[in-house]
Amino acid sequence: MIMVKTTPVAKEKETPKQIAKKLENMANRIINQIHKNIDPVFTTQQRGRSNVEFCEKTKLLKLGDKSTSRNFLNIGHAKKFMQTMMVTEKTHNYLKENKTASIREIYYELKHTLGKTKENTFEEQTESDSCIVDLEHSVNTIREKLNLHANPKGTLYGDITLVDKKHNNDQFNANKLGRGGWSIMSRLEPEEIEIKKVKADYLLVIETEAMYERLVEEGFAKKNKAILISTGGQAARGTRRLIHRIHSEQKLPVYVFTDGDPYGWYIYSVIKQGSMALAAHSNFLAVPEAKYIGMTLEDVETFGLENVTERMKDGDIKRAKEMLEYPWFQNKEWKAELKLALQKKIRIEQQALANKSLSFVADEYLPKKIKKKDFLP
Amino acid sequence: MSLQEISQAEEIAKEFKEHSVAEFFKKNMQMLGLTGKIKALTTIVHEYVTNSLDACEEAKITPDIEVQIKELGSEYYEITVKDNGPGLTKETVGKALGQLLAGTKFHRMMQMRGQQGIGAAGCTMLSQITTGKATQVITGTGHGHPISLDLTIDPKKNQAKIANLVELKTAFKGTLIRAKFKGMKYVNSEQAPLEYLRRTAIANPHAQITLIEPTKQKIVFKRTLKDIPKQPLEMKPHPKGVNVDELSTLSKYTNAKQVSSFLKNEFDRVGDKAIAEIQKNVSFDLKKDPKKIEWDEAEEIVKQFRKINFISPRTDGLRPIGEERIKKSLTSIVQPEFLSVLTRKATVYRGGFPFQIEVAIAYGGNAGKGNVKNEDGIIEKKMEIMRFANRAPLLFDTGGCAITKAVQSIDWKRYGIKDFEKAPITIFVNLISVHIPYTSAGKQAINDEVEIMEELRLALMNSGRKAGQFISGKKREQERKMKKELFYKFIPEIASALEGITTASKIKLEKELEHLVLEKLKLEDAEEQAEIEKEINGTSKEKKENSEKEPLKKKKETISESE
Repeated sequence: MIMVKTTPVAKEKETPKQIAKKLENMANRIINQIHKNIDPVFTTQQRGRSNVEFCEKTKLLKLGDKSTSRNFLNIGHAKKFMQTMMVTEKTHNYLKENKTASIREIYYELKHTLGKTKENTFEEQTESDSCIVDLEHSVNTIREKLNLHANPKGTLYGDITLVDKKHNNDQFNANKLGRGGWSIMSRLEPEEIEIKKVKADYLLVIETEAMYERLVEEGFAKKNKAILISTGGQAARGTRRLIHRIHSEQKLPVYVFTDGDPYGWYIYSVIKQGSMALAAHSNFLAVPEAKYIGMTLEDVETFGLENVTERMKDGDIKRAKEMLEYPWFQNKEWKAELKLALQKKIRIEQQALANKSLSFVADEYLPKKIKKKDFLP
Repeated sequence: MSLQEISQAEEIAKEFKEHSVAEFFKKNMQMLGLTGKIKALTTIVHEYVTNSLDACEEAKITPDIEVQIKELGSEYYEITVKDNGPGLTKETVGKALGQLLAGTKFHRMMQMRGQQGIGAAGCTMLSQITTGKATQVITGTGHGHPISLDLTIDPKKNQAKIANLVELKTAFKGTLIRAKFKGMKYVNSEQAPLEYLRRTAIANPHAQITLIEPTKQKIVFKRTLKDIPKQPLEMKPHPKGVNVDELSTLSKYTNAKQVSSFLKNEFDRVGDKAIAEIQKNVSFDLKKDPKKIEWDEAEEIVKQFRKINFISPRTDGLRPIGEERIKKSLTSIVQPEFLSVLTRKATVYRGGFPFQIEVAIAYGGNAGKGNVKNEDGIIEKKMEIMRFANRAPLLFDTGGCAITKAVQSIDWKRYGIKDFEKAPITIFVNLISVHIPYTSAGKQAINDEVEIMEELRLALMNSGRKAGQFISGKKREQERKMKKELFYKFIPEIASALEGITTASKIKLEKELEHLVLEKLKLEDAEEQAEIEKEINGTSKEKKENSEKEPLKKKKETISESE
């Protein structure tokens, strides 16, 4: 699967004014169609598996050049067309007025009944969400640049100094915010949050909040000169944007620490290569150089964890088999890992390490693996 | 009344000599169409109303008929039928109402509504044997005083017995008959008097018919046309349609002195050439006195009738209701959204019997049967077939009737009528003939003669196509309206959003978007129309093929003779 052609990617430096102009151009194009008595059409990039490809050169998931259109004069598209126009106007407003909103807020702002009917402009948030994604892809930008953001998730901890340019230029070190660390915002564009200084050797990305708390309590960050980021499951856009920026701006290596199961592996895969849903934005979000630290099935053997493994469920097995087919898992280490898991039909959680002792993960497991560079690619 | 009926009558008359009429009636209730309590009541109403209609028509009077049904007790009713007809005299009243099988329709080869049951005299008899009461008659001819009398039948002599005869001082022209009956039931069903009268009104738009139900509710089927239909012509029987029994019966009534002149005078299309042909092949001399014809000899003649190619019978004696009249009466009574009426050309079945088909398809409005709401409060309609034979409604033996079979043999889906059985459709079919081929003596179902089925199907397909076009057009119109509304409701939001982003005018955009929608719908409609026309042209081609198969047109070699 070698990319022949991809659609132009969003530019990091575009200003709100420039984005607003893009929206105006799009609207004017549609208005011209209407003036010319042509069925107005909104065009955007097609998303999903059929238009996502893995670029061998950059090692990133990228969106293909397939586009999709929504015509007003199509019974199946008409409502979506209207909804997209409404979302466009609203985000254009946000940009003009320098306001930001969550995707839930824009949903509520736009929801009302249509004329004298009993029908709503939007019945569910998923409808406005998909319009936002359409718009992002149509004008080649990310939602953050449309002054929109998803619900934040994820925590940052360690000796890293940030400046919040939108809030009195507050400067703070994530080491000094207590055990809870800094709640990662959903909007992490350089014009809002500046990464001022980092004193660490690497960035450790942790799947579960519980493991993050364990490592904080053990004083792991200080002892090992590490920055900790917990994702709380699948990493949110803001978290991924922060991981990307710390890596690219501060040149810190990124190690990912998840449960040894398909869900954990896919968290790693998204951080490293990007996700299918946001394939268009991989170069903003992904870190192709990230490494996988664990849990692995080798760990089970090395550390004698056989009695704390769990059986894979049917869903896990199906998912693991699918992943074996993904182009970005086509290397001998990962193929061996997935095959072994499928053969033994077992999975291992991060917290299973507590079977040895509470401090085992901080004192032995992680330092040893990092020292020996015992990673999966 | 057909020849078959005449001979049947002879038979019955013979039986009178041996049995009491009352006994005969009891035995033959089923044959005479008196099974069922509902059916009995409807049959009585039919007998009286038919008599009134026929009498009015013959006297060129626009009929005004009032039927009143009173409930006197459990399964005990009094039926009163009043008309504005020519009235009866002291002499004729007994014959018309007090003598079984002595109606004026006897021995006539003519399209008549016909007796489907027992005749009005039969009603007198029925009243007598079920209640022991006399039938009251008030009648006036317009000359002299009207009379009132009580009528019974002496079963032994088959003669009317008149009692309480008085002259009335009040002026009255017409006939009122009031009789009581037991063992019947008045309900509101498809086979009940109400539906019978509704259909009678549809087939007789020149008549005004009123029904007063036992509940005292008065229902009036208004006259929609003033002119009285032309009288059907009396026609001689065609040799192809006669059987041995009928021939020998007719031979007894003739004034002809020789068999040859009897055949030429009494039968249609029999001329010298045919007589010569017959003489060559029969064992006796055709100069013989027809009254002395033996059964075997009659058989020989009929055999020759079968062999010889006669010209088809005359069809000009038939009197269909006519497209305009059907249209007017269905419009008034059914009030459909769409109506297609077709009177086919007269043709012939079994080589000897002229007949003619009239078909109407009504859609929407009050068309279809059942106005009952279902659980969801929606009125559920069903397709309805109204069958008529010589304008008289047929209410019973639905399944066994050629009309029902023909309706069911048609693939209505092809005409765009999808859920045919549940569609709000009334199919009106009237079969006109001097001899309706009933399946049984009950006279409620028409036999599926090949030519009749063919004609029925062609007429139904023709009307069905037109109805289908209307129905699919209506459906399209609804869809178009729905689509328009669907697009239109999004327009204000789109226009206002675009106005918000740019400097465009919302009002202008709205107008332009509406224009776009209308244009699109117009285009779609034109496409669909073209598609439908393509489909319909396909079916009409098939129709032509069908009509080419018409068997009668192929008979070219006929003996050209005229009387």
